Amino acid sequence: MTCWSGKLLYVDLSKGTVKKEDIPEKLYKAYLGGDGFGSYYMNKFVSGDADPLGEENALILAPGLLVGTPIPTAGKTEFFAKSPLTDGWGEGACGGSIGLALKQAGYDVLIVKGKSEKPCYLFIDNDDVEIRDASHLWGRSTRETEEEIKKEENDCSVACIGIGGENLVRYAIISSDDRQAGRGGLGAVMGSKKFKAIAVRGDNDIKMRDPERVLELTFEWYEKMVNSQAFKDDGQYGTGEFLEWMNRERGTFPTRNWREGVFDQRQKIDPYYWAPRYSVKNKACPQCVKPCGKLFVIEKGKYRGTKLDGVEYETLFSLGGNCGNPDIESVAKANELCDLYGIDTISTGGCIGFAMDLYENGILTKDDTDGIDLRFGNPDAVVEMVERIARREGIGDILAEGVKRAAERIGKGAERYAVHVRGMEPPAYDVRGIKGMGLAFMTSPRGACHLRSGAYALELVGKFWKYEGVDRLSAKNKGQEIADMENFMAIYDALGVCKFSRGLFLLEGFHDILLATTGMDYSEDDLLKIGERICNLKHLFNLKCGWKREDVKLPPKIRIPIPDGPSKGSYISEEEEREMLDDYFRARGWTRDGRIPDKKLRELGIEEFAK
Amino acid sequence: MYVKVNADRCSGCRECELVCSTYHFGVSNPKRSGIRIEKRGLTEDIPRVCVHGNGCRYECISACKFDAIKKDDGGIVRIDHEKCVGCGACARACPLNAIWTFEGKAYKCDLCGGEPRCVKVCSQGALEVVR
Repeated sequence: MTCWSGKLLYVDLSKGTVKKEDIPEKLYKAYLGGDGFGSYYMNKFVSGDADPLGEENALILAPGLLVGTPIPTAGKTEFFAKSPLTDGWGEGACGGSIGLALKQAGYDVLIVKGKSEKPCYLFIDNDDVEIRDASHLWGRSTRETEEEIKKEENDCSVACIGIGGENLVRYAIISSDDRQAGRGGLGAVMGSKKFKAIAVRGDNDIKMRDPERVLELTFEWYEKMVNSQAFKDDGQYGTGEFLEWMNRERGTFPTRNWREGVFDQRQKIDPYYWAPRYSVKNKACPQCVKPCGKLFVIEKGKYRGTKLDGVEYETLFSLGGNCGNPDIESVAKANELCDLYGIDTISTGGCIGFAMDLYENGILTKDDTDGIDLRFGNPDAVVEMVERIARREGIGDILAEGVKRAAERIGKGAERYAVHVRGMEPPAYDVRGIKGMGLAFMTSPRGACHLRSGAYALELVGKFWKYEGVDRLSAKNKGQEIADMENFMAIYDALGVCKFSRGLFLLEGFHDILLATTGMDYSEDDLLKIGERICNLKHLFNLKCGWKREDVKLPPKIRIPIPDGPSKGSYISEEEEREMLDDYFRARGWTRDGRIPDKKLRELGIEEFAK
Repeated sequence: MYVKVNADRCSGCRECELVCSTYHFGVSNPKRSGIRIEKRGLTEDIPRVCVHGNGCRYECISACKFDAIKKDDGGIVRIDHEKCVGCGACARACPLNAIWTFEGKAYKCDLCGGEPRCVKVCSQGALEVVR
């Protein structure tokens, strides 16, 4: 066996026990790793009625199969748990070094269940595994926690939570090397277990079937990457490179809590403006030769001393455009606080924009906000609200629940302003003008998410992979497209390859890479079948959690036509929404109400989980 | 010849470590790499790699009591793993922190026979060959 360790580490924090198990080879063949193992072990170890913040929920870590090989951009580790934000499938990918360390320590999967009485952290030193006291780390920021543990133990990688996770903010993140497993509140799952951090030291070699061939492929993909346009764009401006295009050419940059699709003050948050002024150098995830991260430093003024890896496109939207905030220093400061406190920038900005909308519509007043002037475009208010949310102070305590629950608590028609799908605040794609992404928000197993399908590029540009001439303003024929893209992207998450490499690594590329690293000889169809298996297992988990078709709907704002710009007048009607879902369920071979027929389960070899 | 470091350009991806160990030992393991990226929090990523006498006084060779480190005819400083006992004296002596020990052996750069593989995968220009 090459490229994998064959071992799973199981930790029960309630009992204080540690167990190691073999992972049968057939599981690697059926699931690869990362996302595949997540979908398998979540179904195996977490019941549908588990309280996301209770001891029966599990936190699962699985590095992608190619993590630790030299294959470029294969540095992603996946985290899983039942989500406290959506009460269903939860996952987040992170570009920190924790996955490489875990793999070198000899484990391809880590499962943590139970609940500790006192703050604790897990220290894994190859074969030796220890649950340690973390009282001295509780209350510390993600960066401080990582530094502190590294002082205690040299040469280790750390994944940890900040106070957001401790305070059970429902969209708290897990941080590793200042990179985040961002969505769905997995940090709160750790917080509920009084589980502050995981630290790993790993010494084992990662073996490959044909190392020489792996190097050849590495150099080949390296050349393709550095000669791509994306390398130049991301290298200079990061993921926000296309912000102007999203506004001017597509008009699908959600602005002021999804009122508009064009942000009139976007130039001030555009990386073409800020990168030359604030970006000090490029930052990369492990194994990435195409860095999109930027070390952003503010040297003077009120936010002097701010340092972060960012600002990413999604955050330029969430803490910028979505709050009508044209002040890049405020966006960067708020982003840094989100990272340090350990909360998701997308959901945080979604919640602040929502509160601002309520404030401007008189549903919230200064009495509710402790005097904070929550107008759209108030840069200080954005920074202050991040503090309040992470600390759960005042209105922040309600917003820490996410817009869905917050709207229920606030009442007075607040739900009309709550932009979410199945409880998750969406990323920066105004789906009124990108209709296929509207479907993808609904079908993503973790709620409104752009990455399970990764179809935004296809929709916005019109072609990718086997698709051509896709019309973003049409709701026709989107079912097969989104299902195909989800199956395809699941392979990226199983292998741990960054989705920003899509377009470079198509499926035929993975064939040679898998053959050289593991010896598995998989055709494109074989891989897509694995992707389909993973997607079905995630959906199966949601079904066990009580997923119902009637709960899957786009927010009320999506029925209001985009008021201006290149997508002016576009929206998704109730009928289009229904048709797209019908079309998707047909493409998936599911029933009209989204159940998976036994025949499909058997075809995918996952019938054992259907009980 | 040596690999020159431009630390302010390093993005911290550590691809060089994985490629180096795979090239030399057929396994991927940063701890066997002849180049290492020292990470200091969020802000600093510093490549550590031997300069083969171009900016040092061969402190490692002087420090080795086992005759395990030598400069070859081409000027390349090499470790003989047959002789190395992993005492770490060379690592402590190196003024550039460009040698380390792992599982009883010292590791450092040997310039890959004249075509350093780390430089080949450094997309940021943090590493360059100086001849």
